[in-house]
Amino acid sequence: MIRHLFKLIWNRKKSNFLLISEIFFSFLVLFGVLSFALYNYHNYRQPLGFTHDNVWQVWINPNTDSTAQNLAVQEQLLQRVRSFPEVAHASLASSNTPFSFNTMNGDLTYEKGKEVETHNFEVQDEFKDVLGLQLSQGRWFGPQDNSSLHPAIVINQKLKGDLFGSEDPLGKKVSANDSTHYTVIGVVNHFRPASEYAAEEGAFFGRINLSKDNKYVWTGLLIKVKPGTGVAFEEKMVKEISAIAKGWSIEVTTLEKMRQSKAKMTLVPLVAMAVVCGFLVFNVALGLFGVLWYNINKRTSEIGLRRAMGATTRQIRTQFVGEVLVMATFGLLLGLLLAVQFPLLQVFQLSPAIYWQGIGTAAVLIFLLVALCALYPSQQASRIQPAVALHEE
Amino acid sequence: MIQLQDIEKVYRTKTIETVALNRVNLLVERGEFVSIMGPSGCGKSTLLNIMGLLDEPTSGYVAIDGKPVKTHSDRQLAKLRNEKIGFVFQSYHLIHDLSVVDNVELPLLYRPVSAGERRKSALEALEKVGLSTRTKHFPSQLSGGQRQRVAIARALAGNPEIILADEPTGNLDSVMGNEIMDILLRLNQEEGTTIVMVTHDEHMALKTNRLIRFFDGQQVADSMVIEAQI
Repeated sequence: MIRHLFKLIWNRKKSNFLLISEIFFSFLVLFGVLSFALYNYHNYRQPLGFTHDNVWQVWINPNTDSTAQNLAVQEQLLQRVRSFPEVAHASLASSNTPFSFNTMNGDLTYEKGKEVETHNFEVQDEFKDVLGLQLSQGRWFGPQDNSSLHPAIVINQKLKGDLFGSEDPLGKKVSANDSTHYTVIGVVNHFRPASEYAAEEGAFFGRINLSKDNKYVWTGLLIKVKPGTGVAFEEKMVKEISAIAKGWSIEVTTLEKMRQSKAKMTLVPLVAMAVVCGFLVFNVALGLFGVLWYNINKRTSEIGLRRAMGATTRQIRTQFVGEVLVMATFGLLLGLLLAVQFPLLQVFQLSPAIYWQGIGTAAVLIFLLVALCALYPSQQASRIQPAVALHEE
Repeated sequence: MIQLQDIEKVYRTKTIETVALNRVNLLVERGEFVSIMGPSGCGKSTLLNIMGLLDEPTSGYVAIDGKPVKTHSDRQLAKLRNEKIGFVFQSYHLIHDLSVVDNVELPLLYRPVSAGERRKSALEALEKVGLSTRTKHFPSQLSGGQRQRVAIARALAGNPEIILADEPTGNLDSVMGNEIMDILLRLNQEEGTTIVMVTHDEHMALKTNRLIRFFDGQQVADSMVIEAQI
């Protein structure tokens, strides 16, 4: 019977062309949206590598040009913040703090020209405690790094893989674009600060040592407050540090708010795409339903003939649902020709598994959709009285 | 072989009640070639549909091979139609998008037989009607007579004991009509197939064994053709 259905649909390919095209385009759109959604979901399930509960971001920005004065104010401000009993840990950091919209990247080179693009985070020793970073190898920064010849860095697991492969990275020297040489002293499990929906990228932490080479005013200040600390403390803290850093602009927010804001950057387009896709699929479903209804009405006499030849009502129903599934198969096969290029050529550098899952899910959804659309018209077709049907030409 | 007893068929709408068949009693024996004649609208096709289990009588008793069919399920009726009965229609009812041989295979699709066996039976049936050279053609590429021969081959493919033919020569000229009639006669005489044929053509009807006349849903005459010719 399946061969018969394929033959029938193939012989009617001209009249089924539009339906097959609709299925083809729906599959491609679904595949695209699903791959994007699956990519984000896959990333979402990966560990961030840090905790953002009770972590506040304080943006500090001096409005004067006097570097020496600003550095002194920065140090006083930091000491005051650390002295609050509500503050567990505090660390200055470069402006690319987690969930911020800032990035700092460059290339790191290991030995004979193995160059990897990476994100660079400048942090103080307490940063590890502020964000609860977990090390898988080596150690975090400490006073022993004050006198190191080459600045110490801590890298994440992703950068370790990209730069060193299976080699032990501890103690290895790497160089940056500006010919600065660094020594790797530790590896953190994960660090994925861009967004919950972003893939992990190579990253390393450099050490801010205010007692040595203190040239910059670091605009990021991350503080870990004790649980239950709220707005009242925020007001008190801002008031007091504003008194120290007169004329500076000071803004306080939480990493949680920044996380939500960053998540919207992914979720809003994803929801918009899903709505457009849903609308398209709904239209396709209506179109399919209409075309099937029309086709079945046009084939009343064939239905009568098949009943006369010995088809049961169930076989008639199965045949029409089967025909639609065969048409869907033709549409999907065409769509697959395009879709499989994505995992094979690793387009957009996504993991092939994401694309394969997208292809599989889109195919299942298309089959479900067409089967649902075919059910009612096929049910009606099977109820046609054969004697009546045979009199219709 | 086919027994109809006190058959009534009434079509009802909100305002009109039309009696298509009124107390029809008929027994068709195995191996008979029966023709049914009567003016248009007298209930001939309705009778054929009831005999072919395509329609249910409003009242009365229908039996095939002595077994009543009233309590049969949809599946049992379909099995009977598939295995025991072959249909030939005035307007052929071929599926235009299938080739001749695929059309002929149609009844065998509803049996548990392999594709190879289906093809073999279909080709044998086409051989019987002299169309073995047109197997790959499509219905639109055939003449009316050839299309009707395909329809007969389709009826034969399932090797049925009964063929019900509803005006099989109605759309054909006399030459082609005679060709079709010859095929039906040969099937009846050589293979013993029971045939019930509705026709408007007295000339064709006189070639059969038995002639039944209908008028206004009632059987008005039932005679052996030799007697009728005398």
